[in-house]
Amino acid sequence: MRGTNAALGAAGLAAFLALGEAVPRLGLVKEAYFPPTSRIASALGDELADGGFWSALGDTLTGWAIGLAIAVGAGVVVGVLVSIVPYLREATASTIEFLRPIPSVALIPLAVLLYGTELKSVLLLVVYASFWQVLIQTLYGVQDVDPVAEETARSYGLGTWARVRHVLWPTALPYVMTGVRLAAAVALILAITAELVIGAPGLGQEIAVAQTSQAVPEMYALIVVAGLLGLLINVGARAVERRALAWHQSVRGEVAV
Amino acid sequence: MRRLIAGLTTGAFLLVATACGSSGGDSSSGSTSSGGVTTVKVGLIPIVDVAPLYLGEKKGFYEKQGLKLSPTLASGGAAIVPAVASGQYQFGFSNVFSLMVAQTNGVSLKAISNGAASTGVQGKDFGATVVKKGSPIKTMKDLEGKKVAVNTLKNINELAVRESVTKAGGDPDKVKFVELPFDQMPAALDKGQVDAAMAVEPALTTMKEQGAQEIASPLVDMASKLTVAMYFTSTQYAQKNPEIVKKFQKATAESLAYADAHPDEVRQIVTTYTQVPASVLAKVTLPKWPAEANRASIETQAKLGEQYGFFKKSPDLDALLP
Repeated sequence: MRGTNAALGAAGLAAFLALGEAVPRLGLVKEAYFPPTSRIASALGDELADGGFWSALGDTLTGWAIGLAIAVGAGVVVGVLVSIVPYLREATASTIEFLRPIPSVALIPLAVLLYGTELKSVLLLVVYASFWQVLIQTLYGVQDVDPVAEETARSYGLGTWARVRHVLWPTALPYVMTGVRLAAAVALILAITAELVIGAPGLGQEIAVAQTSQAVPEMYALIVVAGLLGLLINVGARAVERRALAWHQSVRGEVAV
Repeated sequence: MRRLIAGLTTGAFLLVATACGSSGGDSSSGSTSSGGVTTVKVGLIPIVDVAPLYLGEKKGFYEKQGLKLSPTLASGGAAIVPAVASGQYQFGFSNVFSLMVAQTNGVSLKAISNGAASTGVQGKDFGATVVKKGSPIKTMKDLEGKKVAVNTLKNINELAVRESVTKAGGDPDKVKFVELPFDQMPAALDKGQVDAAMAVEPALTTMKEQGAQEIASPLVDMASKLTVAMYFTSTQYAQKNPEIVKKFQKATAESLAYADAHPDEVRQIVTTYTQVPASVLAKVTLPKWPAEANRASIETQAKLGEQYGFFKKSPDLDALLP
């Protein structure tokens, strides 16, 4: 079954690449604006041989990783605190719902004013966008705690910390992992967007430079890299999720009674 | 065990978070100096116009003045002006008109060195209004009722096109301006989404390669030797560091003169910070790099800007210009 899926995935990708080659070759779109796959592939080859590309890739991944780490750490801690401190959830609910839909990109002028065009500007946008993903999932996860389990833990005399560890955290973890997976993708999008718009060093800036330089195949090559990066991050996040939730019924695949 | 790992992971995240948080304090807004060499951050745009700075750094003109340039490429002046105003960068590159707009909006900036100027030659400038091959539009007057792409509305390129239309006997208010980044102009013109485009290099060369026709050189129409862009700093930085500003001015003047005299070296250095394809780069029209800004041409821009209602109030050129 797994082999079939992989084969189907590969076939789909091959068809997509062939389409990308055919459309400009047949003149449906101009080659000058949308180069065929082979031309993009050769531009990609040139990029891979260039040291500047690798340092840009490193910059993007650094921004992504640090931003994601801060967002996940802060999201989980804030989420748990807001849930377990009495009345805090009610007090913060409207503020969270007000802040959450603000697009991170709208904060670009603020980021530039505070941090110029450096990594910190990227981090501001990445953390802002991915923090909410984790926070909201954590809040829902904590809400999902079984009252019977909670009461049982209480009647066995477990303290607050012990209840957080043994009751709340295992319940919330599947939600948190979903949040982390979503946040990982959002963080990458925002890291590249920030570089593209602000001009902080990284893949996004390389894309912007290629764009202003009228270097179309190079620009698409870099966009392909961004896509591949997203794919890898998604695969990685799913692997982490499976490992962290190996004990959970959703991964174990059997119904607990 | 699982809980231990989870706990450790959370702990690690927090550590990273605090580590990053603590590094926030050292982002000193001033320039760093060590061993008599002052490093200054300069906000640039990845275009041909800023080549003299890269060339000057390579030739050691800045080193001679005890300066080390740390260029940062931003996607446009919109990111550079706030970064200079807040002291993240010491210097920046921007078109003069944007500096005037920023000033009328209350941002204290000081233009210190010339940046780039139009060639002043009709039909051979680095910026031009182009139409698609075979278009019925032949003159600027024909643009009435047509869609014209400019990179930024209410900025220098729209101003130049408006003035050019006026000079051709047309009514600029009848022209429909649409905002489009330079790099997207070739495709938009080709597909007929716009009837004309006010483009600069290297997009201009790309379009001409595709057969687009040049109908005017609006930057030349506006003033014969138009100062298009300048290097600037914040008023505050200029007051506190007159010595560094003076050194930057000296080295930049030398770099501009050198670049103006060595076009081949310019085309060579451009490849180090852009990705302009070699075939295009060989054909682009380079701007002029006079050592001094042409004040009369900037006064013209200010006057026309007011005339067409681009400013909220009159720019103060004495405060802005060196």
